[in-house]
Parts: sequence; structure tokens; C-alpha cells
Amino acid sequence: MLSADALVIGGGATGAGVAWDAALRGLDVVLVERGDLATGTSGRFHGLLHSGGRYAVKDPAAADECVRENGVVRDVAADCVEDTGGLFVTTPFDDPAYADRFAAGCRTTGVPCEEIEPAQALREEPRLNPGISRAFRVPDASIDVWKLVWALARGAQDRGARVLPYHEVVAVHRSGDQVHGARVRNARTGTEMDVEAAVTISASGAWAGRIAAMAGIDGVHVMPGRGIMIAMNHRLVNTVVNRCQMPTDGDIIVPIHTVSVIGTTDVPTDDPDDHTVRPEEVDAMLEEGERLVPGFKRARALRVWTGVRPLFEDRKENGGATDTREVTRAHALLDHRERDGVAGFLTITGGKLTTYRLMAQDTVDAACRQLGNARPCTTSTERLPGSEDGEQYRIGERLGRRELRLSDDQLICECELITRRRVEDAIRRRGTSDLDDLRRLLRLGMGPCQGGFCIYRAAGILHGLDGIGTPDANAGLLDYVRERWKGVWPVLYGDQLRQARLDEWIFQGVLDIEHLQ
Amino acid sequence: MIDDLFHEALRSSLDHCVKCTICETACPVSNVTPLFPGPKYAGPQAERYRALGQSQDESSVDYCSGCGLCTMACPQGVKIAELNAHARHTVKQRTGISLRDRLIARPTVVGRLGTPVAPIANAMLQARPARVLAERVLGIHRDAPLPRFAGRRFRTWARHRQAPGTGTKIVYFHGCGTEYYEPDVGEKVVAVLEHNGFRVEIPEQDCCGLPLQSNGLFEDARKYVLRLARSLAPHARDGTLIVGNATSCTLMVKREGREILGLEHDPDLALVSRQMYDVCELLLELHGRGELRLDFQPVEEVVAYHAPCQQQGHWIGKPALELLALVPGLDVRELDARCCGIGGTYGLKREKYQIAMDAGADLFDQVEASGARVVACDSETCRWQIEHATRRPSVHPIEFLHQAYRL
Amino acid sequence: MSASLRYDAVVVGAGVAGLTAATRLAESGARVCVLAKGVGSTHLAPGTVDVLGYTPDRVEHPAAALPEFIAAHSDHPYALIGTDAIAPALQWFAARIERGPRPGYRYTGDLDRNHLLPTAVGAIRPSALVPETMAAGDARSTAPVCVVGLRVLRDFHATLCAGNIRRAGIDARAVEVEIDVGRVEANAVGLARRFDDESFRAAFVARLALLLRPGERVALPAILGLRDPHGAWSDVQRRLGRDVFEIPTLPPSAPGMRVYNALLAALRAAGGRLVLGAEVTDVEREGDRVTAVRAATSGHDTIYRAGWIVLATGGFGSGAIELGSDWAASEMILGLPLQGMPMPGEARFAADYFAHQPMAAVGVAVDSSLRARETDNVYVAGAALPGAVPWREGSGEGIALATGHFAAQAVLEREGATATA
Repeated sequence: MLSADALVIGGGATGAGVAWDAALRGLDVVLVERGDLATGTSGRFHGLLHSGGRYAVKDPAAADECVRENGVVRDVAADCVEDTGGLFVTTPFDDPAYADRFAAGCRTTGVPCEEIEPAQALREEPRLNPGISRAFRVPDASIDVWKLVWALARGAQDRGARVLPYHEVVAVHRSGDQVHGARVRNARTGTEMDVEAAVTISASGAWAGRIAAMAGIDGVHVMPGRGIMIAMNHRLVNTVVNRCQMPTDGDIIVPIHTVSVIGTTDVPTDDPDDHTVRPEEVDAMLEEGERLVPGFKRARALRVWTGVRPLFEDRKENGGATDTREVTRAHALLDHRERDGVAGFLTITGGKLTTYRLMAQDTVDAACRQLGNARPCTTSTERLPGSEDGEQYRIGERLGRRELRLSDDQLICECELITRRRVEDAIRRRGTSDLDDLRRLLRLGMGPCQGGFCIYRAAGILHGLDGIGTPDANAGLLDYVRERWKGVWPVLYGDQLRQARLDEWIFQGVLDIEHLQ
Repeated sequence: MIDDLFHEALRSSLDHCVKCTICETACPVSNVTPLFPGPKYAGPQAERYRALGQSQDESSVDYCSGCGLCTMACPQGVKIAELNAHARHTVKQRTGISLRDRLIARPTVVGRLGTPVAPIANAMLQARPARVLAERVLGIHRDAPLPRFAGRRFRTWARHRQAPGTGTKIVYFHGCGTEYYEPDVGEKVVAVLEHNGFRVEIPEQDCCGLPLQSNGLFEDARKYVLRLARSLAPHARDGTLIVGNATSCTLMVKREGREILGLEHDPDLALVSRQMYDVCELLLELHGRGELRLDFQPVEEVVAYHAPCQQQGHWIGKPALELLALVPGLDVRELDARCCGIGGTYGLKREKYQIAMDAGADLFDQVEASGARVVACDSETCRWQIEHATRRPSVHPIEFLHQAYRL
Repeated sequence: MSASLRYDAVVVGAGVAGLTAATRLAESGARVCVLAKGVGSTHLAPGTVDVLGYTPDRVEHPAAALPEFIAAHSDHPYALIGTDAIAPALQWFAARIERGPRPGYRYTGDLDRNHLLPTAVGAIRPSALVPETMAAGDARSTAPVCVVGLRVLRDFHATLCAGNIRRAGIDARAVEVEIDVGRVEANAVGLARRFDDESFRAAFVARLALLLRPGERVALPAILGLRDPHGAWSDVQRRLGRDVFEIPTLPPSAPGMRVYNALLAALRAAGGRLVLGAEVTDVEREGDRVTAVRAATSGHDTIYRAGWIVLATGGFGSGAIELGSDWAASEMILGLPLQGMPMPGEARFAADYFAHQPMAAVGVAVDSSLRARETDNVYVAGAALPGAVPWREGSGEGIALATGHFAAQAVLEREGATATA
């Protein structure tokens, strides 16, 4: 059994942010997450650090939050953020009148916005539709969410927090009107354990309704809004590019690391674990991409994935809208002591990654009130591990670092420039034996070849380090190949199909993994 | 600044890369030194990490010799060598270009300075102390195969020659090698063409800019290649073909100038590019139509043929080999090595000379093993490297035809 | 300038199928030119000749299994050309390998019994013909195996390989040889070049010998020489005094390049030409006859006239057939009709990676003589053909050789008929 001041359920950006904030305030924290960190919504979105421009007209509350937090996150999590800048452009397919509403909305909400000549935008981004008629510069950026979540977790751990991935909550402990912790099951070993905590914080995003129900609390209605994103093989643009129109499907292209991501759609679903990709959604994304970047449909698509937005609707207060786009993107903190008369339990849901820190702050403030702790929040100034120097990430970083090590370290994943030393360190440090964990941690296998070359190498290294036995190495290889395929086949055409054929020859021809025993 | 839309088009070819490593097997440099991480790395792979307006330390890209064998071997159509060339240009913009590179990139400057004082210049270039000094001061390796000035210019001969009045008009693009170092080769090319019924025009012309491009001096390279296009185009607008014997230079005009320097839209360059022929390519096509004169006398010789990388870059196979096969008495041994290593000006440089020699080692061994007394090779810089390394004479294939015709 | 390069036959594609067809034609006296936009898949393939490996059960005896296989797959290339066409192609191939460029290197095996060889991950894979340098790895032998890795070769992992060989019932262990090759990472072809050098081999063997136990056969990654694999392999065997075999691993493939070099030498010896970098983009036609192909060469296109065209351009993997983002597919040079495409709106792929994939068996439609539909003189060979899933059946090289050989034969027969007419 573990005991702590605060139990955080959910290891996405919000949960990790809560753990960090709470640990900084001297609380003893345990964080549990059913999978690897950031495998919920956080790890499945396009990586945009909003300037707020997207919400300037439609959702001023959300815009307002983004404006403030954008600047803070760029500072405290600098290593995770690439200052790509952002553009809002009016294409021939957009209502030209929206541009002025957009500019006005930015002025009202304080979103920094500067109109520039379309010719200037095209000079900076030559792939853009040459027919754009208006262009605005905003401080969008792209953020590496795994780096962020792991930095938050490490920072919390450095201050005594216990971070437990692969621990799923199977029951929430409630005695009368007091929640005092939860029972978790280790997904790897199957053993169960109780965690006793004075305050339990559900930062479980799209699963918040389920966790609240486990505590016997109704009406926490999270509408999962599923959307697809497609990663294109290279950065077609180096700036975040938004369509200057009311938010709709496929209106953003985000350059993040070596890919550009187009997103997204918005399909209501009941199940936050629903990862269906519908062909119509794929076709729609490609069409929208073509409008922003002519030639998009001939460019190479790497993979597609889905993310589920936690759109909160407080069923206790109103009848609820059905179009998930109509629900506010601002976050919702539910102090169940006030709302339901149940002490020791908080739910934080809704919101967006850009405002994770603010969500965490509000949450820990509420938790501290229940705990009688008056320490103030310092996360707006305390820099995360790895971001101490305030230097933001640059796309050429890995290339520049590799240049220094050309003669003394092997490349294991060539597409993503991951060295042998990094792979071995990650295995040792995390104690992981899971190729998928390595993928999230290092971006292993996330480049054009989708693991065709590096997965055998990584499996071999894992096996050779006495990390795992042969059956597990085989299973890891096969699972990786199967899982990767799920994200590949819905967008498999053109150049990526050529790649898939080569990968088939390697995995099934040269290695014959299908016939491993 | 490179036309960004053009650069994006080149970048898009990286989407074809399936990481198969075939280009790495073809690269003569990365196979002999780890200083160059290889064409797949430097081209399509690193390009995903490059953004317009940003640059980082990538000095390893400068070890690419620009041979182009990677692009040729790539089964997917990735413009690997072209991406590398762009990357090198970006690196050089950041780090600057040395005096040495600026100097050797301008063969016309060197040529004009050296020709009037050829005997002295040649003596100095062979003199050890002068070479050691040049190595220390300029960075040109003391053993690098520098050519000898001919002491006369090809243009002088061209201006004074008696041209025949009849025949099919053809324009001759001779290149700097012929102009300053091997004017006799130019004379032989003209003689062979005239023997086959051509009326050869030799307009005023200058350097194609290839050494400037391969040393990352893109702005200057553009000026040169466009100036050359302006010189040649007026003579070719009526459909007249242009023929050259320097396969690196003709390739520059045919393709590299346009693809690497982003000059796809210049109409003069497009015209001369379309109508540019390598002399062996032209003669073989004549032969295909039954129009090549076959009045060859025997030439008793064992000759090894090496196709330079930038002749292979024409993507027309090895027409020289088929022409040489027509000459009675000639025992032609096809060599099957990748590269002689010189890479134009690459192998002259102090820090790259040994890499070049190592890259060419396989070729030099094959020359030895072939039993040939002389090596036929279409590119002058390659011939100088082969002579230097194998101590055998190396000549342009056209010389055998000239000899067989008894001109 | 009008087209003036004339050949009896132009073969498009320099993979096994293309080089086989071209060489066979050249050996029969035809003037042949191979046009290829790049090097073919030889450099990526393990270098074995797989005729039939899985149906989906493992095939021990291809000759015995083929009749039932083609009865169940009537649009498979083997069904089209007939199983009798396979053995002559294999014999032809084996003879060309033996001829050069360096003598001694040979392939072993036949259609009666597949070799069962370990892969780089230690799975056991069936192959009909294998290089002599691999044969001693047959899993039917119970001799224990010592799998040798080199840290510099990140593409081969001895412990994982040995672990799986053990699971196949053969005693196996892994060792690592430390040897300085002047760089921190190398691929199999780079190492194979070093193994062409006798003094390097001697140094390597000296270190390896210290690690071996009595009775073990030695498994190396496929690095036993590029120029002189017979010399390299027999030298290493002799020095170690025990059986040595190599295991093909991630590309680039040294055994694959040896095949390329041998076929290219055979093509040249027969008077054929190869033009690399010449991407064929279009053709000229008169009715249903193709009279010339147009290659996008530097500066201007080059036109090659020919009486016969063999399309050995590969399938989707080489971009010879492209699937667009609109989910329609086309053969890129002539726009030839395809066979096996799912209907518009039907799924192209299945979500389960190992399930049957609808797109897998798509190819250029041909008649039983491998002639492309809607043409009189265009023949198709290799991966461009429909009806096969070579990486799962274990049939890639078998199809390439048999159909390349057969297509050449079909052309020769018609050429002979024309000549006598």
C-alpha cells in the first residue's frame, strides 16, 4: 500500500502538470496512469501550442487562456517548444469577411496578431496556396508533448513524487462522503495495490466520467470528440498554418519535428478508446490539405491516428449541445466537495494542452484548499528539467548534435537520428522492455521507414542488453509491426506504399518474422 | 538566395526515399571514409531537419564529391546529389568559402594567368618546394594532379583555322580543359566532326560554372552558366545541335546547372540544354542512322575504358565504348569501377586528396590488372587523376577515332 | 534529332527479371539494351532463390507442392507459364552465377527440397537455391551453431538470432568479435568488401577462433566477400576448420549484389548493354505495337527503337505501378490495364497486418505467354505481374527468374516464327 497527500489519476499533460505543481508545493504525490505516460489525448494530438487565434472569434474564454499560457509554456518548457510562429491565411475557399472579424477578435482577446502581405507569407512559406488574399502572423508554436510530460514527471520525481505508469485504477475508495484513494492494478504484473491519499485528483481527461462514476458521482459528462490527424513525411511548411475561417475540419497544418501534421476532424463518440479512422475522414483531410498547400495530395503521408478530445458538458447545469464543436474548449475544474458533497475528490477535464499549466494550477489550488496548504503556485516561473537554459528547440538540433558524434556513436534509427547510446540509456533509465515505450520516448521508428530498419536493430539491442528474453523480443517485434500497420494502411498510397512494400520484404522476406516460434 | 519554390520541388523528391541504402553502396566517398556520412544521410534524411532560414553545423556535407552516382543508382528517383549540393551551398553561406576554393573554382582565371607564362608556371607546379608552399598557404595538396598549361589557347587556333564552307552546321562547346590545357584534343574533335560532314562553329564562350557550383558558389555559378547559355543559344535557335567533349561540362549545361542552380525557367539555358550532346553520344546516334563514316584504319592498342561519373550522369550508357568497338585492331577492356575520386576540384584539396586516392583505388587496381597500356576516359580531370595514379597515359576516346581516321 | 538507337529488344528494369530476360535474349543473338531508372531490388534481397516457401504452411518440397499450389491460384505467374518453366530458369541462373565474374561461387539446391535456413532474427526460412556460402546453415542439421556478431554491424544481432535458432530446436549461442574497421558503424556490404581482403580475413579469423567451441558450425552475417565470395568463404572455412555459413540481413545485401554483378557480367559477355539512370517515361506506338521507348535522360530525352519490349519494372515497390491518393492505380509507362485491383469503394487493405491484403496481388494484366494486354509486342516479367504475394509465399526470385526466362523465350519464339515467315 502507498500513501500520499495527493493521488493523481491520469498521466497526460494535465496529470503530470498537477503532479509537478503539487510536488513543488511540498505535497507528497503519487501519479497513476493505466498505460505509458501521455498515451491518452495528450499523446494523440497535433502538437500545437495555441496562440489563441483559433478561438479569437468563437470562444473568447479559451482564447484568453491561450494568450497567457502560450508565453509561460514557452519559457518553462522551452526545450519542448519549437518557435515556429503561426499564420492565419485566407484561401480562395474561405469567406474573405472572416479576416476582419478575426483581427477584431484578436484585438479584443489580446491575441498578438500582425497582418502581413500575402506575398510575404508566400516568401516565408513557398508551398502555400498562391491565391491567399490575407495573412496574419500569430505566435503559434509546436510542442513535443512526450518531452513535456516526461519533463513534468521527472521534475515531480526529483521532488519526491512517485510516478507509476501501467497502473490502472480499478476502484475508487470512498467512505461515506470522503474519497480517500484508489485501488490500482499493475498492468504488467497483474498485482493490485491500494493508494491512500487525502485528496484524489482525476486528471483523466476523456475518461473522467468513468472515474467519477467509480467514486459514485454522476453527471460528469465528458463527450469524447474523436478526430484524425495525418502526419506528412516532411515539413511542407515550417510555420503553423491556419485557415482564416471559423474552426472546422482540417484547417491546421502543424510542423512538428520532421513532419507536418494536418488535422483534424470532429466526430462524437461514446467510447474514448475508439480509434476508428474512416476513409471519408482521410479523404476530407487530404482535400483540405490541398487547399492550403497545392500538391498536398501527391505528397507522402506517413501515418494517421486519432485523438479524443475531452469535451466537458456539465449535465448538472444545462441541457447540453450536440455538436461537439459548440462546446467550450475552456477547461472545467469540478470540486466535488462543493458540487456533490463528496470531499477529497476533484475532477479536472476539458481544456487543451496549451493550458495544461493553468489547469494544473487551478486544480492544485483547489486541492490545497481541501488540505489546508497555503503554498502558492510557482509553475509559471519554475523551469522544467531540460529547459533550464530557456533555449527553445530548433528543428536542426538533432542534426547538429549528430554532426559532433559522427565518428563515435552508431545511428539506430536513421530517420529520426537516434543513436545507440540514446537507445541504451533509455532502456536502462526507464527499465523498459517495450519497443512502443521507446517509440514514444525517442521517436524511434516514427520516420519515413516506419521502423523497417530500426525495429530489428532496437529489438536486437534490447535483447542483447539482457533486457528481455527471446519470446518477449519476438512478441515486441510482431506487436510493433502490427500496431504500426494500423496507422499506416488508411493513408497508404504513393510513396508510402513503396516504403511499405520494402518493409514487407524486410520483415517477411529477409527476416520472416511471421514464422518466429 | 535560391529560388525557394524551386528548392521545395527538389525537397519533395525526398518523399521518394524508402531508405533502401542502394545509394550508399554506390557512393565512392563514404565507402572509404567515415568523414562523409553517406548520400542517404546527407541528402533525403538530413533534409527533413533543414528549414529555410535556419542552418546548423553540417560540415560533413562538404565531403560529398558531387559525383552523382547516388542519384543514378537510386531506384526511386530521389535527387540525392542535388540535395547534397544545396546543403553544401547552405553550409558554405554560413561558414564562408576559402580563397583556395574561390581560386580553383575559376579555371578561366587560373587559365588566363597561367597560359602566357606556361613554361614557368608548369615548372613551378611541378617543383616540390613550390607545391609544399601551395599546400601550406592555399591548401592544395602537394601531390594533387594539377594539369600543365598548354601555353596556347584553343580559341586562338579556332579563330585562325580554315573552316570548310559546307556541311551540317554544329556548334562546338569546348570547355576550359580544352581551352587552356588540351587544345590538341579540341582540334581532334573538330577534325573528326568535319570528317563526318559537319561544319563546326566555335562561338565565343567561357566557363560553364561547374567548379563554382561544386564549391558552393551558387551566385557566381549562375552568372557563368547563364552567360555561356547566352553565348551558345543564338547559334542553336534554328535547331543546330551543340556538341562537347568535356562530359562534366556538357552535363552541367544539360542538367546540373538547371537542377541544382534552379535555372529551370531560363529559355536560353533550356534551349542549349536540350540541344547539348556529348561528342560520343552524337557520333553513336549518327552510327545508328548509318551516317557515321566507318573508314577506320587499324589502331593496334590495348586500351582500358573508364566512364567518368559525370559521363554516367548523362544517363546514356557508355557510347564511347560502342564507338571504340568499331575501330579495328583496338582491344578495348571495359573497366567496372565506380569513380576515379577526383570529383573535379575535390581531390586537389589538401584535406580531400587522400580520400580521393582511396576512392579511386579500385579503379587504379583494375587499370593495372587490365594489361592496358593506355586508359580512355571522357573527362579531363579524371584523365589527370588516372595518369597521376597509374602512371599510364589517359586520353579522350575521340583520339582513337581521330587516329583511326588518320586525320 | 530523331531516334536512331535501335535494338532488337529493350528491357525496362535491371532487377533479376529484367537482367535474366535481357541476357537470355542477348545470348540468342539479339541486340539488347536494358534501361533502368536505378539499380534493382537485387541489392535489397537476401540473395537466395525462393521458389515456393509457404502455401501458407511451410513447403519442404516445392516440386511436389507446386501442382496443388497453382491449381489453387490459377492467376499466379507460375500457373500462367506452367511449372515446367521454373527448373530451366533455375538451371540457367545457376550456370550464369558459376561463370563469373569470379569463378568458384555457386548456388546449390533444386526444386525437390527446400533448404531451411535461419534468418537474421533466427526464424527458419525455406529457399530452393542458395549460395554455397549459406548452405551449411540448414536447420535439418543438428550441429550446434555459434552466431557471430560484430558491434560495428548494427544490422545484425547475434543474440536474438541465436535465441530464436534455439527455439527452433538447434543448440545455438552468440559471440561478438571485436575488430577495428576504421569507423564506428558499417553495413554488410562495406564489411563484405573488407572480407575480399585476405589479410583482413586472417585477422578476423584469428580473433574468432579463440571464441569457438568444438563441434560448432559458425554463422556469420552475410559479409563473406563481394568480389570473391568463394575465395572469402572457403578461406574462412579452411582457417577455422569447420562449417561456416552466412546469414542475410538488413539491406544492403552483399549476396544480392553478387547476383547483380554476375547477371550484369553475363549480359555484357553476351553483348547486351545496360543504361542506368535512364527512366522510361513514354513509348511510341503504331496500333498495338510499341515501336520505341522514350527515356528521360539528361538534357534531352533519348529514344530507343526496338522490336520487342520487356517490362520488368517491378510493382508498387518501385513506383512502376502507382496507387494515388484517390485510391486508383496505374501502370506508369504505358498505362497498361491492371489485374486484381479492388473495385472503387472497396477496401485496398485489411487492418490486420498478416491477413490477406487486397492490394497485394495487383499487377499488369497479361496473357499466358506473358504478353501485356492491348499490345502486340510488350512482355511483362517479375514483380510487375499480378496474382502473387511473393514476400509471404516465398516466391520472389522464383517468379523473377522463371518469368524473365519465359518472357525471353516467348520473344525468341515469335522472332523465330517471324524470321521463317
